Amino acid sequence: MTQVKQKGPEVTLTPPEDAGNGLKTQEMVINMGPQHPSTHGVLRMELTLDGEIVTKAVPHIGYLHRCFEKHCEAMNDYTKVIPYVDRMDYVAAMNNELGYAIAMERLMGIQVNDRVEYIRVIMAELQRIASHLLALGTFGLDIGAFTPFLYCFIEREKVLDIFEKASGARLLYNYIWIGGLMNDVPADFKSDTAAFVTSFRPKIKELNDLLSYNKIFVERTANVGVLPEKVAINYGISGPSLRGSGVKWDLRRDDPYSIYDRFEFDVIVGKGEVGTLGDCWDRYIVRVWEMEESLKIIEQALDQMPGEGDVQESVPKKIRPPAGEIYCRTETPRGELGYYIISDKSTTPFRIKARAPSFVNLSVLPAISVGSMVADMVAIIGSIDIVLGEVDR
Amino acid sequence: MSDNLEIPRTNAKVSDPARERSLNFLERIYLPEIFRGMWYTLKQMFQPKFTMLYPEERFEPPAIFRGRPVLVEDEGQERCVACGLCARACPPLAISMQASENSDDPKERYPNFFEINMLRCIYCGYCEEVCPEEAIVMSKDYDLVFESREEAVYDKSKLLVRKEELKDRLEYLREYKNRQFGQFWNFDEENNIHSVRNRDKRWETSLSLVEMIEEQRKQDKQTELMRD
Repeated sequence: MTQVKQKGPEVTLTPPEDAGNGLKTQEMVINMGPQHPSTHGVLRMELTLDGEIVTKAVPHIGYLHRCFEKHCEAMNDYTKVIPYVDRMDYVAAMNNELGYAIAMERLMGIQVNDRVEYIRVIMAELQRIASHLLALGTFGLDIGAFTPFLYCFIEREKVLDIFEKASGARLLYNYIWIGGLMNDVPADFKSDTAAFVTSFRPKIKELNDLLSYNKIFVERTANVGVLPEKVAINYGISGPSLRGSGVKWDLRRDDPYSIYDRFEFDVIVGKGEVGTLGDCWDRYIVRVWEMEESLKIIEQALDQMPGEGDVQESVPKKIRPPAGEIYCRTETPRGELGYYIISDKSTTPFRIKARAPSFVNLSVLPAISVGSMVADMVAIIGSIDIVLGEVDR
Repeated sequence: MSDNLEIPRTNAKVSDPARERSLNFLERIYLPEIFRGMWYTLKQMFQPKFTMLYPEERFEPPAIFRGRPVLVEDEGQERCVACGLCARACPPLAISMQASENSDDPKERYPNFFEINMLRCIYCGYCEEVCPEEAIVMSKDYDLVFESREEAVYDKSKLLVRKEELKDRLEYLREYKNRQFGQFWNFDEENNIHSVRNRDKRWETSLSLVEMIEEQRKQDKQTELMRD
């Protein structure tokens, strides 16, 4: 007999032997994935089902393991790590690059000029919008709302166009370098970005109309996969998934890196508006309003951005950091991305470890999915927004 | 912390119906919502089309686009002098080459074979970045098709592209890249041939590099003697 202790009324799940009609039932183990379309990549979930209720969920990872750390150690230059960093969280490559560049700059004691900082922040926030759009679109798609997915992708495409004009690539940019940028932004970057910001504002409202407060969508996501505040903190969750549980924690505000301390923005937290605090809908709506905050940051950055400045001013000719180690964390769209870099004074990194937010966020899945329906698993996986490239590295 | 955190607070069996938004009359008859949805769809029908009919309509990338890396063919031969910098800078080790010498040619060195494994290439653009000759650049090709692994290893016959076809990219490189070094060294056509012999017109002999340096030393000594 499976018992799930509740804070409120105690719920007893039907014992497997007694289905009421004399027929015996037993727990069934099924595999969800690795080819399941809603696992956002190659995640295999081993679900133990009692009827339609999940009694145990074990995620199996490693299908996309590409030896990131060993690759870094094999590279004979620190700059060569940047393309690999892109490929960790491939829908938010700019933020990965930014984290790595900042870590290396702190290790080497490089100061970059203001223009570089502003361009970096604008790029990172645009990437956050693009990443959230993908997360929201596919979350809706998982649950059965196909239309918002396409509108989200149109907007994401506009962001990618801006990136393409600046860096020459649409997904894996290799744009933010240690001590600077690959090249300066084109002349119409400012106007393009400003045009995007103005055109994107009403789209958030549109998305809310289409999806967020849709009755069917709310039914599918409210009260599902509730992640209480304490559990979230115990598991080390970060990013929108943590903020969805009502914890006001954002590294951009609490441990400002780059120039984030110069901007005015709010930290969005979930409030349990339509269901319980920390359910799938809360995690979803945090992402929606975070896009609005990113727009605010971009607008301020565009206003303050200096027009002049050499973006490769402090790019070192040979990267040979002093012996030592550093842990540097930044806020990516998925949470706290930390790089732990050990240098032995040579040109080859001795060790680079990435603390990937998706990996940590995934670890809470077994805890929050017990007791949910098997169809809700899709919503739960979608709401914690994992990218398997980052989970497996 | 007394409560057991491993256990979920709510599950499928206990959702809280009290918090559910109750539908008003108009929402319950369902029709206004349907018409609102239809109105939105109708509006979208007259929006400009965002997609592209790919094989017929092709996306024309800007000059900055990093597509397939190619070797620049300048006046019938490659600019490449097989220095091996691109192979060294390549993070996934996609480039391999072998240098060969040709004393009849003012460029002297050329790659005997030059191969890029397009299955390994990650389009990072580092090869272009390090190339001192502007010999390897990123082109605009983005849809590569191979039928076997052997076919994916591009050799010189597939890599060489005439410089007229790469005009966009070469102009972009001159304008945007290497600003840092641009103040010391401007790329121009005359510097392209890196042979020591061509730098100084006086040295247009068939001497080897070592001999040339010896020659230089002799000349230096002579000038010193003259000065004395």
